[in-house]
Amino acid sequence: MSFSKPSVLPGFGLTFGFTTFFLSAIVLLPLAALVLAAASMHWKDFLDVVLSARALGSYKLSFGASLLAASINLVFGFILAWTLVRYEFPGRKIIDALIDMPFALPTAVSGIALTTVFAQNGWIGRYLEPLGIKVDYTWLGVTLALTLISMPFAVRAVQPALLEVQRELEDAAETLGAGRLYVFRRIILPTVLPALLTGFTLAFARAVGEYGSVIFIAGNLPMKTEITPLLIVIHLEEFDYKGAAALGVVMLAISFVMLLTINLLQAWGRRRHVRVAR
Amino acid sequence: MSITLDQVTKHYAGAPVVNDVSLDIGDGEFFVLLGPSGSGKSTLLRAIAGLSGVDHGRIALHGRDVTHVAARKRGVGLVFQNYALFRHMTVADNIEFALRVRRMRGKARRQRRQELLRLVALEGMDDRLPAELSGGQQQRVAVARALAHKPEVLLLDEPFGALDAKIREELRRTIRQVQRELGITTVLVTHDQEEAFAMADRIGVMNLGRLLEMGAPHELYWRPATRFVATFLGAANLILARRTPDGIQIGASTVAPAERAAGVQEHEVVAVVRPEEVEVAASREALTSGYLADGVVDEVLFTGARESLRVRLEEGVQAPLLAYADGAASAALQVTRTQHEQRSFEVRTGQSVAVGVRRLHVLPTPLSSFTACAASAASAEALSRQPLLAELAARMKTRIAQRVEPHLGVDDAPCAVEGAFVGATVIASQTDCAHRAEWLLRRGAKDLLVLPEHAHAPQRVLIHWMGEAARSATLGMSASVLRHVPAEAVYVGIFAGESNRAPQGMRELLDARSEAQAAHGLEMRTELRFGDVAQELAQRLAESPAQMLIVGVTDLSRFAERFRALLDGGQWPVLIVQRGAT
Repeated sequence: MSFSKPSVLPGFGLTFGFTTFFLSAIVLLPLAALVLAAASMHWKDFLDVVLSARALGSYKLSFGASLLAASINLVFGFILAWTLVRYEFPGRKIIDALIDMPFALPTAVSGIALTTVFAQNGWIGRYLEPLGIKVDYTWLGVTLALTLISMPFAVRAVQPALLEVQRELEDAAETLGAGRLYVFRRIILPTVLPALLTGFTLAFARAVGEYGSVIFIAGNLPMKTEITPLLIVIHLEEFDYKGAAALGVVMLAISFVMLLTINLLQAWGRRRHVRVAR
Repeated sequence: MSITLDQVTKHYAGAPVVNDVSLDIGDGEFFVLLGPSGSGKSTLLRAIAGLSGVDHGRIALHGRDVTHVAARKRGVGLVFQNYALFRHMTVADNIEFALRVRRMRGKARRQRRQELLRLVALEGMDDRLPAELSGGQQQRVAVARALAHKPEVLLLDEPFGALDAKIREELRRTIRQVQRELGITTVLVTHDQEEAFAMADRIGVMNLGRLLEMGAPHELYWRPATRFVATFLGAANLILARRTPDGIQIGASTVAPAERAAGVQEHEVVAVVRPEEVEVAASREALTSGYLADGVVDEVLFTGARESLRVRLEEGVQAPLLAYADGAASAALQVTRTQHEQRSFEVRTGQSVAVGVRRLHVLPTPLSSFTACAASAASAEALSRQPLLAELAARMKTRIAQRVEPHLGVDDAPCAVEGAFVGATVIASQTDCAHRAEWLLRRGAKDLLVLPEHAHAPQRVLIHWMGEAARSATLGMSASVLRHVPAEAVYVGIFAGESNRAPQGMRELLDARSEAQAAHGLEMRTELRFGDVAQELAQRLAESPAQMLIVGVTDLSRFAERFRALLDGGQWPVLIVQRGAT
C-alpha cells in the first residue's frame, strides 16, 4: 500500500506516525536494548550461557509447560465459555466475574494460594500424595500455575465468538439430519476456530512470560523445575546482566517464532474460508 | 394427511403458549399459520419440526407418529427468518449439507445441487460465500438447502421478515412456484395478513396459543366466526346490532332483511362491516345502500389507490353502537373508498354525510357486550372498571354498559329499567350473591357473570352444565370466552352418587368433547367426578387459584340455595348460562 493513496478516513499520516512512535518507544526500543546488551558478549560466552544444560532444561520446562497449559485452557476454556454463553443458571454472573480474577490478582498471590492447596500437606495435596501424585516441586505444579494465570485469556477470547454461533444454525443443521457431534464438528468448531487459536496464542504468550506464581509452587530445582524467567532473575541477582540478556534474547526469539507461526496459520485458515469475491 | 396435530399443548412458565391445537394439513397443501407475535405460531412450527417438545398431544407426519422422534429423523425442511446459513461454507457446501450428512456420493450430490440452484434461480452461485449474497439470494439458498434431502414437509418461519417489500414479493412468487412444482406440503408462519392471503391455500389464525379459525382466505375474510379474525384479517368495524325476526337491525334501520330467520328470539349480536362496504353520501336519499346513520367526517387520509376516512356517527337514542368505543374520540367508523367513489362524491374534514352499509356479516359469537349491573350508579360504575372485566372487554373489542337496579335482590320487586337485558349481565360477587343472581335470572338475564372484586385472568376454565337444554349454549359461550383468555378448558362431568356409573359418564364426556370440537371449534380436556354438583365444583375451584367456572343451568328452582356454595363470597369468576328455563 502506498502512503500517498487517499484514504476514506482522514488523518492516516498522523495516526500512522503516532502508531510507529508508540510501538518504538514502548516495544521496539526496550527490545533493541536487550538485544544490544546481549550483542556486546562474545559468541562463546553467549553460547555458554544459552546452551548450558541448566538453560536447556529451563527452555524445555518453560515452553513445554506453557504449551501444555495453553492446550488445557483451549479445551476447558472453551467448555467454560460455552457454559457461560449457552446456559442460564443462578450465579452465572458471579462465575463470569470470577473468570477475570487471575487478571487482577498479583501473580505471587496466585502462587501462594496454589501452594496452600496443592502442597503435600495442603487441602488437596494431602489426598493426592497417597495416590503417588506430587504437585509441588514438580513440572505438574508449574503447569498448574501457568494454567491458572492464563485461563482468562482463553475464555475471554472464545466467549464473543460463541455468542455469534446462533442457536438457529444448530437448529438448521439438526433439521437437515446432522447429529450433535456432527453439528459440533462441522458448524460450531469452524465458526469459533479463529477465536480458539487467538485464545491459545494469548494464553501461551502469557504463560511463557509468567514468573511470580510459578516460583512458589515449583521449588525451583535446577534442571527439574526451574523456568527460564527464574533463571534470568538468578543471573540478575548475581549481577550477570549480560547473561540475563542473552537468555532473554533466546526466549524472545523462540516466542516470536512460535507466535508468528500461529498467526500465519490463522491467516491461512481465514484465507481458506473467506475468499474475496471475484 | 401430511401433518396431523392432535391437541398439541406446550406450556412455558406455567402458561400455555400453544393451547390444545388440533389440525390436519393435506398433501401438497400450502398452509399459513397467521397470528400476532406471541400467539404461539412459531412455537407450534418448532414443535412440528421437532426442535421443541410438546407437553401434551400428538404430532404425526404422513401417518407416522413423530411426537417423540428427534428433529433430524423427521424428514422436514426448515427455513428461518434470518436465513441461518452456515457462513463459513460456500453456497454449494450449504446446499449439500444434508446430502453429506447422508453420505451421498460426490457426483449425485453435485447433480442434486445443480437441480436445486436451478429451482431457486441461483445457477452459477455455487462458490459464493453467504456474506457475498444479498438478503433475497441468501434466503433462496436457505430454501434450496432445506429442500436438498427431499423432505416431505417444508416449514417456513417468517421467511420474508428481514427482506424489503420488492424482494419479498419476488421471493414469495419463487417459493409458491417451487412449492407447486414439487407438490410439497408447506407450512408458513407469518404475522402479515397480506402475505397470508397471497400465498395460502388455507389459513389458520392463532391468538393466545389457540388456533381460532381455519379456512380459505376469502372465506375467513368474508365470514369470520370470531372478532379476532374479523379485525386481524384486514380492518373491520364491529357494530352492536339486534337480531330480530325481520333481520338485522342496526340503530334505526333494519339493514339486512335478507338474513331473515324465523323463530329467533330477539337478541344482541355483533356485526362486522368492512371499511370498503361502508358508503358515504351527501344525504340519505343519495345513498345506494341501506341507511345506517348520519355522521361527520373526522379525518381524510390519502393512501394512494384508496382514500381512508374516519366518520364519527351522530349520537342519539337510535344511533348504531360501535362495539368498542375506547373513549368517545375513537367512536368512529373506518371507511375506505376507491378512486371512483372519491371522484363521484368528494369529502372534506368536518363535512356532514349520510352513512350506508352495503354488506355486513353477523358473528356467531354469543357474547356481544357486557352490562355491569348494581343497586346504585356508583357501584355499577366501580364494577365496570373491574380489571378482569375491562381486560375481557378490551380483548373482545366490546362495550361495557351500565344498568342500575335499585331493588336488586328485593323479592317480588320488578326491574327498574325497562327493556330486555343486553349482552352478558355482570354483578359483583358478595354475600347474598346467589340470591341476586336468581333475582336477575328470573327477570330475564340470560348470561350472568358473577365477578369477585380481585379476580384476574384465569389460567383454567371449568365447564359444566345442568340439563341438556343448556348444553349447546354453554359450549358456545365457553368457546367465545376461551378465544379471549389464554386458559385451558376443562369439562367437568359430575354424576350424583356412586362411581358405578362411570361407563355412562365417560360416554357423556366424550360426547361433550366432540360436540365442543365440531360445533364450536373448542378443544377441551375432560374430568369425571361423583357427588353433589355445586359441592364438587366449589371443591374443584378451591383446589388452585386463577380458575373460572362457566356453568349452564335450565332449572331455576331453589337456585339461590343450590348455588350458595359456589357464588357467595367465592374468589373465582362464575359465568352462568341460562337456557330453557320456565
